[in-house]
Amino acid sequence: MFSYYLRLAWVSLRRNPVLTGLMALAIAVGIGASMTTLTVLYLLSGDPLPGKSAQLFYAQVDSSPYPNDHEPLDRMDDRSALDLWGAHKADRQALIVDSPVKLRAPDSPKPPRMAVLLSTTADFFPMFAVPFQYGAGWSADDDAKKARVAVISAELNDQLFGGADSVGKSVMLRGSEVRIIGVLKPWRPSPLYYAVAGGRFSGGDTADFYSKPEDVMAPYSASLEINDGNFQQFTCWHPPEHPGHLTDSPCVWVSLWVQLDGAAKVATYRQFLADYAAQQKSLGRFIHADNTRLRSLMQWLDFNGVVPGDVRLQNWLAFAFLVICLSNTVCLLLAKFLRRGSEIGLRRALGASRKAIFCQCLVESGLVGLMGGSGGWLLTLLGLWLIRQQQVAYADLAHLDLGMFTATLGLAIAASLVAGLLPALRASRIDPALQLKTL
Amino acid sequence: MTSILAALRHHRLSAGLIAVQIALVCAVLCNACSLIAGRLELMGLHSGVDESSLALVQLTGYDTAQADEVNAKALGALRAIPGVQAVSAINTLPFGPRVANAGINLDAGLSHFAGVIDFYVGGPGSAAALGLKPSSGRLPQEDEYGPIQNFVPADAPVLITRNLAEHLWPGSEPLGHEFWMDKFHFRVIGVLDHLAVPAPGGGEERDPDWSVFAPARPGPAFSGSYLLRADPDDLRTVYRDAQDAIAQALPDVVFDHDASGPVLELRHRYFAPQRAMAGMLAGVILALLLVTSLGIVGLASFWVSQRHRQIGIRRALGATRGDILHYFQMENFLIVSFGIVAGLALTIALNIVLIKYYGASPLPAIYLPLSAVVVWLLGQLAVLKPALQAAAVPPAVATRGL
Amino acid sequence: MLSMQNISKIYRTDVVQTHALRDFSLEVKEGEFVAVMGPSGSGKTTFLNIAGLLESFDTGSYFLDGEDVSNLNDDGRSHIRNERIGFIFQSFNLIPDLNVFDNVDVPLRYRGMKSAERAKRIQAALETVGLASRMKHIPAQLSGGQQQRVAIARALAGEPRILFADEPTGNLDSLMARQVLDLLEGINSNGTTIVMVTHDPELARRAHRSVHVLDGQVMDLKAVPDAPKRETGAKA
Repeated sequence: MFSYYLRLAWVSLRRNPVLTGLMALAIAVGIGASMTTLTVLYLLSGDPLPGKSAQLFYAQVDSSPYPNDHEPLDRMDDRSALDLWGAHKADRQALIVDSPVKLRAPDSPKPPRMAVLLSTTADFFPMFAVPFQYGAGWSADDDAKKARVAVISAELNDQLFGGADSVGKSVMLRGSEVRIIGVLKPWRPSPLYYAVAGGRFSGGDTADFYSKPEDVMAPYSASLEINDGNFQQFTCWHPPEHPGHLTDSPCVWVSLWVQLDGAAKVATYRQFLADYAAQQKSLGRFIHADNTRLRSLMQWLDFNGVVPGDVRLQNWLAFAFLVICLSNTVCLLLAKFLRRGSEIGLRRALGASRKAIFCQCLVESGLVGLMGGSGGWLLTLLGLWLIRQQQVAYADLAHLDLGMFTATLGLAIAASLVAGLLPALRASRIDPALQLKTL
Repeated sequence: MTSILAALRHHRLSAGLIAVQIALVCAVLCNACSLIAGRLELMGLHSGVDESSLALVQLTGYDTAQADEVNAKALGALRAIPGVQAVSAINTLPFGPRVANAGINLDAGLSHFAGVIDFYVGGPGSAAALGLKPSSGRLPQEDEYGPIQNFVPADAPVLITRNLAEHLWPGSEPLGHEFWMDKFHFRVIGVLDHLAVPAPGGGEERDPDWSVFAPARPGPAFSGSYLLRADPDDLRTVYRDAQDAIAQALPDVVFDHDASGPVLELRHRYFAPQRAMAGMLAGVILALLLVTSLGIVGLASFWVSQRHRQIGIRRALGATRGDILHYFQMENFLIVSFGIVAGLALTIALNIVLIKYYGASPLPAIYLPLSAVVVWLLGQLAVLKPALQAAAVPPAVATRGL
Repeated sequence: MLSMQNISKIYRTDVVQTHALRDFSLEVKEGEFVAVMGPSGSGKTTFLNIAGLLESFDTGSYFLDGEDVSNLNDDGRSHIRNERIGFIFQSFNLIPDLNVFDNVDVPLRYRGMKSAERAKRIQAALETVGLASRMKHIPAQLSGGQQQRVAIARALAGEPRILFADEPTGNLDSLMARQVLDLLEGINSNGTTIVMVTHDPELARRAHRSVHVLDGQVMDLKAVPDAPKRETGAKA
């Protein structure tokens, strides 16, 4: 029966190409707008590390000397961070600090450029499943020895070494020569989750959380020496004595991520954080002992509201738009089906059940949806292209993957079926007797 | 009128759907326009400096020990560029990087927190080069450009904006007032009408004008960032020459192309997301109006064809073309009016949601009648063609069999 | 075959009630060809709608082909219309977008028949009405008489037990009308019961008997002169 309905739908749609086109266009525009924004939202709000994110936690203690009971600050002072990291109470732990650094290849005539240096510790690479193209990360021993080693991004490797295996070569970070021990594969976490902080102070303008990963990664201990004077605070309660030199300063600037495999370990670590804060209070270094946090990766992203306000707003707008397009389609389908009232009456007289008429109309709606969906898919591609032209950090992420492509067609057909329900129901209630005189 | 209402009751489903659609359109139209207006207002912001004459040069990649040398060489090289009217050290400019924002207090004991503001720190000559003209008080004098140890001078006279002063000391003349940031002390010597923060519309500053200007002498803690002033026609050339001049004078520092540029260009870059959003909102509005009018056209044509014979009979019984035309126009007017009434409630509800979650501003009341007029016009425009078709139905239809 | 007892049907609007049928009783035997006559507004069409299960009635009882159809739900009535009833309308009522083959196909589709079986039946029905060569034409390419013959083929293809015809020649000239009537007589002679609504006495004369309807009631129930004694269930 389905193929019969499909043929009838095709005949019916061809009879009135303008009306059919209008309906398909309305659906296409609605789908195009909503799928464009939904794709962006999906790319920006997804789990950046599926399967692993539940084991990763962001630790916070409150070292503020002010007696207000707010959320603890988004990063830690270096002393607390080092204490917690050095205790090795988690399965893995990594410190995170970003700073701008002057970089050039030794013996290169090219002028130096500014790069972003990620100062971290050995566990960073296995913890965040960072993919390597050549070489590997450094060891805990390198951290301890303040080894002058570095891991560079695929992009930097392309720029400096034309994409060749550069392990064993070196780069100049500021005045220091560091040896490359690893080159990453192209890697584009969305967002750059381990560096996220301060979302609540951003007023929804969080596009920069979706920046590309750092160009260079080096041991935390070594980079404090290499890039001294160029570190940036998250915030300070007094201006640091030497701007850019933040070790033992009244500033928060270091993040600590820990990996905890299992709920028991999470509970234990929570207790460890509380105990640490209490101990620091008794030492007189903290005044807040009971203000610690241990958020999972997704909770931390959520707390920071990583999805930019504009993106969420666009999404709502696009869905309001889709609803309007659909209500428009409902009107047009209703007009289309009722205009054929006499034919439907005749079919009823010849023995079609209400269900048969209902199905016939729904198949026709679905066919319109398929056409609208195809158009919507093209418009989605156009919309994403427009987004890629924008100057936002996540512009390069805006691509349609297979999942979203299927979702686009699925949404279009589902939407048009929903839009077709009411008109089809109305059409199936057409009285067989009344309409027969005027076919 | 009553006969139209009676006829509408027969089509209440489709008429209702159109009305619902109109209501949604009203709500989205009003709020999207208000959002666009908000963005446009932000984009039209007065920065308070002579934007068309100014450019910012930012240098990085040198050590604090080299700062004095960098200052001397950079200032020298920039001053030597033909066409330059003024060069001065400045920590940043409107639409440049945010470098010095901090919470301030109204007392030395730091108990009276007053908000987070941005500090502009300028070297000798910068106040004049920026085009700052105090509406009361005065610009800093030569001897007030003091040394600087940290990111702001320790004790400095400042220029404050009217808005910030009003927030700090409501209703009182700002001149002579003082405020503190940690141990740093500031005293107001002049009031500016406007001086926009580097990143207006974001961050913790609750007003784009929450900034102050403090004078200081370049030094190790104040280096690597310079303002260029030139005739607006020469500015592009001067800025291009500045890049070459720096490359020659200081081959080892890094010219930060992202943070540098003529202020108008910085402004253009800064507002790119706002422009994109405003453009998208405008696009949605247009598409919305288009889709809705197509829906009205489709449904109205259906009604006309459905009532073909009825129209013929009316014509045969003496209705003029105008009568038929007005009938359909009136019908559309009624449906749209129902939609608008429902739309008003929806508009306000949507606005409340937007205010709550997206920091939108309350909808100006004028938007409601304006959008009603737009939607009425849209409806009349959309129904015109079907209504004219209806009016063209010949009376002879009445006598023809079907 | 058809047995209506004391059927009444009232149309209600906000303002008035119209008694379309009152106390309407009629018996039609298997194999009969009955003409139902009456002036316009007499209730002929209401009778046909009710008899053809297109419409429900308020009181009374109705047996069709030995089955009580008084209280059937919509699906049940659709089912009977599809399998046991054939319709022929004054204005043919062909679907303008479908060709002749597809028009005849319509009732068969709702019966869930195999494609080969449908094709065979359509071919046979169109041969009966002499239009097998016009299968791919659309209705607009046919004359009125041909269109009505397609409609008859559509009614025949389902092999109905009873055929309802509503002014089947009303829109045709006399030559074509005669062809259509000949066709109906042929169908009847093969055993299909026919009930034809008309106001044309000429037409009614071709039936075995006439029933007159006035003001929603049967006026005179003449005795059936010579009830046909033919085999039942013959193929069309």
